[in-house]
Amino acid sequence: MNTATFTPSRVEDLRLVTGRGRYTADWNLPGQLHAHMVRSDRAHALVRGIDTSAAKASPGVVAILTADDVKAAGYTDIPTGAPVKTADGSMQVKCAMPVLATDRVRFVGQPIAMVIAESARAAQDAAEQIMVDYEDLVSVTSMDAARRPGAPELHGVAAGNLSAVAIAGDEAAVAAAFARAAMTTTLSMDSQRLAVAPMELRACLVDYDASADRYTVYTPTQGMLGMRGSLSQISGVTGDKIQVIAEDVGGSFGLRGGSASEQALLMLAARRLGKPVKWVSSRSEHFTSEWHGRALRLIGHIALDAQHNILAIRWEHQADLGAYTCYFQAFIGTRNLSVTMGGVYRIPALFARQELIFTNTAPVSAYRGAGRPDIAYAIERLIDQAAAEHGIDPVELRRRNFIPNDAFPYTTANGTVYDSGDFDGTMSKALVMADYAGFAARRDEAARRGKLRGIGFGCYLEASGAGGAPKDVVRAKFAADGRIDVFGVTGSSGQGHETSFAQIVADGLGVSPAAIRYRASDPSQELVGNGTGGSRSLYGAGSACKMLAARILELARAAAARALDAAPESLQYVDGGFQTGSATSDPGKRIGLLELAGRLARSADGAHPLDCEGEAVSGATFPNGCHVAEVEIDPQTGVTEVIAYNAVDDLGTVISPQLVQGQVHGGVLQGAGQVFGEQIIYDDDTGQLLTGSFMDYPMPRVGWVPNIRNDYNPVPTTLNALGAKGVGESGCSGSLPALVNAMSAALRSRGVPPMNMPFTPARVWEALSERAG
Amino acid sequence: MNLELTVNGKTQSMQCEDRTLLVDLLREQIGLTGTHVGCDTSQCGCCTVHLDGQAVKSCTVLAAQADGSSITTIEGLAHGDALHPVQQAFSACHGLQCGYCTPGMIMASTDLLRRHPDPTDEQIREGLAGNLCRCTGYVNIVAAVKQAASLMRAAGSQSA
Amino acid sequence: MYPFTYERASSLQHSVQGLRSDPEAKLLAGGMTLLPTMKMRLAAPSRLIDIARLADLRGITREGNTIVIGAAQRHGEVAADPTVRAAIPALAELAGHIGDPQVRARGTLGGSIANNDPAADYPAALLGLDATVITDRRSIAAADFFLGLFTTALEPDEIIRAVRFALPRRAAYAKFAQAASGYAMAGVMVAQLDAGIRVAVTGAGPGVFRWREAEAALAGKWSSDAIAGCALDAGALNTDLHGSAAYRAQLVRVMAAQAIDRLS
Repeated sequence: MNTATFTPSRVEDLRLVTGRGRYTADWNLPGQLHAHMVRSDRAHALVRGIDTSAAKASPGVVAILTADDVKAAGYTDIPTGAPVKTADGSMQVKCAMPVLATDRVRFVGQPIAMVIAESARAAQDAAEQIMVDYEDLVSVTSMDAARRPGAPELHGVAAGNLSAVAIAGDEAAVAAAFARAAMTTTLSMDSQRLAVAPMELRACLVDYDASADRYTVYTPTQGMLGMRGSLSQISGVTGDKIQVIAEDVGGSFGLRGGSASEQALLMLAARRLGKPVKWVSSRSEHFTSEWHGRALRLIGHIALDAQHNILAIRWEHQADLGAYTCYFQAFIGTRNLSVTMGGVYRIPALFARQELIFTNTAPVSAYRGAGRPDIAYAIERLIDQAAAEHGIDPVELRRRNFIPNDAFPYTTANGTVYDSGDFDGTMSKALVMADYAGFAARRDEAARRGKLRGIGFGCYLEASGAGGAPKDVVRAKFAADGRIDVFGVTGSSGQGHETSFAQIVADGLGVSPAAIRYRASDPSQELVGNGTGGSRSLYGAGSACKMLAARILELARAAAARALDAAPESLQYVDGGFQTGSATSDPGKRIGLLELAGRLARSADGAHPLDCEGEAVSGATFPNGCHVAEVEIDPQTGVTEVIAYNAVDDLGTVISPQLVQGQVHGGVLQGAGQVFGEQIIYDDDTGQLLTGSFMDYPMPRVGWVPNIRNDYNPVPTTLNALGAKGVGESGCSGSLPALVNAMSAALRSRGVPPMNMPFTPARVWEALSERAG
Repeated sequence: MNLELTVNGKTQSMQCEDRTLLVDLLREQIGLTGTHVGCDTSQCGCCTVHLDGQAVKSCTVLAAQADGSSITTIEGLAHGDALHPVQQAFSACHGLQCGYCTPGMIMASTDLLRRHPDPTDEQIREGLAGNLCRCTGYVNIVAAVKQAASLMRAAGSQSA
Repeated sequence: MYPFTYERASSLQHSVQGLRSDPEAKLLAGGMTLLPTMKMRLAAPSRLIDIARLADLRGITREGNTIVIGAAQRHGEVAADPTVRAAIPALAELAGHIGDPQVRARGTLGGSIANNDPAADYPAALLGLDATVITDRRSIAAADFFLGLFTTALEPDEIIRAVRFALPRRAAYAKFAQAASGYAMAGVMVAQLDAGIRVAVTGAGPGVFRWREAEAALAGKWSSDAIAGCALDAGALNTDLHGSAAYRAQLVRVMAAQAIDRLS
């Protein structure tokens, strides 16, 4: 094998496959101290006192921080996210999580104190000596328990543990539609609470430079600005004094957009102690104390006329906030569940009533798709259930109700404008790919072996992230080594930005991608832009990259004209260079772009005449697709094998096919995890977390979905310069409905009523045996 | 306590606490941070290294137990600039995204291929049963293992 | 972990004395159970005596109609050993499915049975094959060895040297693993010994047990449908997050049937 000529698929691969990635825990600074957290072991309790005396005397201890220290430093609470408007026009009741608990704790794992010592072990030893005087309160760890009359209230300001009731759509129109409906179906579906579980454990290292009054914060993020902004909000320190560094990030999936307690506390500690302070989480702390995902209930009611046209869908949504309003669950449980609540269908009336509820559990925030896979899941399950209840073919029911291709741009009943799509074409392609027509024969063959097969599909659509920043800006700086550095905000946690953004710029310039270096969140470059999230970074920052390439060529043209002594407008740009001739074979006078750049003189401050910016405003797009899953259940054990998984996605223009496919694969397995096993479970009586490690929380492993076939039905969008729709969350949006519809079809054939996820072997078997009776 | 071990071909004497884990010795004392910690119940495999030729979870081995042994970490797999076929194949097949599980996954894969040079899907599934990945969905990892297997068999037959 | 002193055992006797002189000392072989427990600070031995390399505890030999496996033999070694694979393939198969490959490179037979985790695999092999546990001072029949949840007949300073397995006429092991931990929710060793039929079940109850009704049925007819009507008291089985006692009872039946069918 000729390893000398090996070219990695992605720029980042070389360092990652040789163990030279630099994740936060890999960083060390001279003289650093170490922190260990003290966390609540009660679900709901008053804190009468915290006795740190024994801990303070413990060997190696330097300091112990409690809520008093947080208050004295002027730090405020964990950001709560934008408030949602409620049904009666008032604002949501927000209950922010304190950085460290004051007089009350409201979930197991809530941070109470931070111990800082000379070694991590010394800090842990000391932490065990801290005595917290709790007065136990009754806890409520489920939404149902929290909403029962007489239930203990977590927050005095939130009566009945209700943070808000929001509405979207037109209630009257929906009521009228149901009044004249020929048939209706109702289905209650849970999208259960999950742990995000990226493989990298959270960590943070903060160094404070007193002479410059500057904090350097090493911590995994999805983009510097979000982390910096939240740190600034909590600490009161202005953003220009905070530098966030995240070289390699081991997965994020929505978890790492902003700071939690620990990063802010380390800023406080580093400043007070005059030394760098480092903290590395354990996996069990990830389970108890980091934001959970999903935790939604979606109840759908669908109304059809006699010809099977969908007249309306009415939703009731309940979102479990956890114990406090942190970051995104409010947004997820309202806007993200309603923006595409009609899916790919032409539905004249839509309405949602949405409740946000506090429980004595870890706060919930964004996890891959953040509500959009959940609503896609619920729509597709509801459609299948209606088909089954009323004897309608599930393919025909969809086909009859798809938004037709000539209806774009299409405004949904609740005001969302879809730009493009070919829903029928996509579904048809997927069904052929999955040999849907041949399923009956495969089902019968399986039955002869005593196995139960099901086939199911999900026609999903999701709204990718519009992003909070007004635009995405990327900046090019021509480096002394002859390459071009491209700086942007959006940071990779596995998406391969160094490769794909370099690709876009390189394609625009006609040069090799090796000539371009993408650098995310570089502290020396202040830029406007969005972090990674909502599947938008490729088309957001990527569009800006395309604009950047065009801008570079604009600037270069004049310089090339001078160099070639020709009129600027007479030059052609061919194969990465300006030339007087019109073809590769007949260039005339020619100068390559990089050669030209090398000849131009820099200004006194080192700036290069071709240094410039590209920007783009890219709003939400609507990736969509149809995923088909075929499953085989062993009724004896309840074990399900995923026999086949076929995905057809409309992601618009695809820039990096291999990376896109990887995103779909990853999303599909995360969906499979939710479908077949993952679930965060609290004990209803004690409020303790029962699924606190990988021993009890089944993560998907090799073989859970052995084969995924991908194809595409791209309908380029005009909503950004690339025509791309974003792919990060599509895998989950397709796999939840495809897998669950397949399971439901199989189980329904044995008379099992609709079940919630996860379809663990035990639950499937129990459901089947109840029927077999 | 005093230890002597060979890490990536280099024999060194070290001192550490009796309770020092092998992964911590590698990361903190020797500075080989390519081996990662991803859990606390010995299940994620991010910490996988080779100990006397076998893949083990270095988070569940005391440095003291490795006294006198030979250890290969991800940093020791390539020969200078020449990547190991498994490393090449992981990149070629896009079997990594964030890269955090990748060192452990590669070390487990090389061990699997040592035992099964032409592995079946079932053998790959069993061979990587101790390793978690949250990003890739595994399909490309399996492809990478198979590609590496054929690269290694081809090289083996060339040098034969 | 809390601090402790590590020492490499120089001999079996030295190890016994180490345990005798310090009641807080523990033996360390593979460490696949002990070290995670210590990392979580749920166990804090004062001293670890590493016996993994003691020659007295290593080796796989055929002795007449038995196989003797050293207590410090790793699971992976047992799984790959030609002698075991030839004489008791079910035992090699069982060892080859403990944990994952990295665990099998370290975990040992002695460590597993001394711990007696109710979901470990080896106890089913020992009970199902009428094995004998050979310690530094006596031999203990498997039936007398496993006493209950994490409890064995070993004295506090007693050390397992080896396990002697009589060759069965035929045997098979089938296991249903819990998806998260990989431990057995039900693991059944079915064996036809000279002394009779054994159906040993691990994972489903508070400890390994013999399913006597199934043994009696199989003695009449060696076939998976022979056990279909056999009583199995679900009340004695575990219910937890991952499944009810009724489900575990079902798994026991299915795994037993699978093991029997493999031998038919």
